[in-house]
Amino acid sequence: MSADKVKSVKEDFVVPHKLFSLSRVWAIALNTFTQLVRMKVFYFMLIFSVLIIGANFLFLNFTFEQELKILKDVSFGAMTLFASIFSIVGTALLIPKDIEDRTLYTILTKPVPRFEYLVGKLIGIILLVAVSLVLMSFLFFAVLYFRQHAILAEEIKMIRGGATDAQKEYLKETIFAQGVSPELILGVLAVFLKAAVAAGVALVVSTFASSTLFTIIVSLVVYFIGHAQSLALEYYFPDGQMYGALQTFIAGIVAVVFPNLQMFNIFDGIITGQSISTTLMLRLIGLTGFYLTIYSMISWILFAKKEL
Amino acid sequence: MMAEEIIPAVQINNLTKIFPVPFRKEKVIAVNDLSLCVEAGEVYGLIGPNGSGKSTTMKVLLGLISATSGSSAVFGLSSSETASRGSVGFLPENPYFYKYLTGAETLSFYGKLCGLSRRKIKERTSELLSLVDLENAKDRRLGGYSKGMLQRIGLAQALVGDPRLVVLDEPTAGVDPAGSRKIRDLIIELKQRGISVILSSHLLEQVQEVCDRVGIIFEGKLVKEGKLEELIEIESQTEIILEHAEPKILDQINELVQASEETRVLRSGKPKTTLERLFLKETGAESEDVRKDS
Repeated sequence: MSADKVKSVKEDFVVPHKLFSLSRVWAIALNTFTQLVRMKVFYFMLIFSVLIIGANFLFLNFTFEQELKILKDVSFGAMTLFASIFSIVGTALLIPKDIEDRTLYTILTKPVPRFEYLVGKLIGIILLVAVSLVLMSFLFFAVLYFRQHAILAEEIKMIRGGATDAQKEYLKETIFAQGVSPELILGVLAVFLKAAVAAGVALVVSTFASSTLFTIIVSLVVYFIGHAQSLALEYYFPDGQMYGALQTFIAGIVAVVFPNLQMFNIFDGIITGQSISTTLMLRLIGLTGFYLTIYSMISWILFAKKEL
Repeated sequence: MMAEEIIPAVQINNLTKIFPVPFRKEKVIAVNDLSLCVEAGEVYGLIGPNGSGKSTTMKVLLGLISATSGSSAVFGLSSSETASRGSVGFLPENPYFYKYLTGAETLSFYGKLCGLSRRKIKERTSELLSLVDLENAKDRRLGGYSKGMLQRIGLAQALVGDPRLVVLDEPTAGVDPAGSRKIRDLIIELKQRGISVILSSHLLEQVQEVCDRVGIIFEGKLVKEGKLEELIEIESQTEIILEHAEPKILDQINELVQASEETRVLRSGKPKTTLERLFLKETGAESEDVRKDS
């Protein structure tokens, strides 16, 4: 039989295979999302509701400014906590479990490159964080909106002899300045970006970790150090200058291993009424993109040759 | 077919897999210079005791682990290439699937991974659920499936991409005799459709029932391989099974044997059915061929 004939026969058996398929990645992402939703993770909304509604009644003797500030503080704090827990625990729970349960065998023995599996899982977790933040934001903004209107009504009522239009306008302006504003959406976006970076960290750890617990512990350590990273760099390089290639290299490695998560905590400023520049937001988005790309690549390198 | 003559479904050449032992100098040789070939359309049984290297061989073939030396290919494509998995369906031993998905959702998920269109997924899901007899349980979550049902949905997911080769690692482990029989029937159906199968099982009777060729693996080496008929045939013996034999005929046969110098009767009596067949008959789960046999 001629070589050409052999080749053509061989080609008959070769199933066309795409090196990278968005539909496969999306299938894995959607499956991850569905799995987490069906694990009833959205019950956290009950806890979140109790927290922010409770925050309205606990501090009744404060000024309205303090009251609204506490409400925003509690809400952003709870959002950061839930988003970070979802991203770290969700990633740590799913990938090592797939390996332990050998569910991964059935996925990787389909024409699915390992990189697609990792990216699909990461997108699925990030999707869950995004949906949960949207739900929390709706509730947060709704409570804040009703609270600011309730406070305005109370303050107007407290003015003896009835408030003038000018007084009403002044009160409205002062109270609403602490209420719902577009800046809050930027704050929520920053919480989301930070959680996405945390998911990236957990993804890297889960590719070499042997258990869920190990992944959670290591990721949490990185997460907490990430908040102190900028302080450490400021301490060691007070003038912001790095001397020599070695220092720059070490600082670079530290920045990759321990992402500067403090940078994402812009909601402190938002709560006190600071405005957020577009440049800062773009920088945070760019930084998140950079970290997710780096973490996906590192995960792939570690996972590509992993013996399953 | 010409193609089937040229490209084997599986070609493993001098495969060796060595696992290092952490913090120790010694290494574990799981597979040692193993070569085997499975022709297209053939059902190949890989048998051996626990830890003999069966699963490791399958994992290398499926690209889950890499070979220390040697090569393995599926329909001419190296196992290290993701594309080689386009022609394969795999059912691991004791499989776990996403228990939050229903049977139909599970097949749809794996169909998407195989790159099937939405219409094709719908068709395949319905066809396979019917094939593995899980139509009534298609909307139930896998968390509520029995062991046998999980094995069958596992077999269905292995078939969802319309593979040319199906690799089954202990497909009947922990399954009751009726479920086991169903899986056996499915393997026979795959064979009739021209699909190649590699089957690893401890149930040797089942391997004997469905396999064309068998390889016996021991301590990582393929110690015996060949066509099943040839392997199990005892050259020096002949078996005659008679139905409604009259005593007179039996006496005549005995006389002839006694008259012969070399021939002797080793055993005679009523043949026994198997415990499996008896179980299937008594529980009403027997198939047509079982009824005929017993």
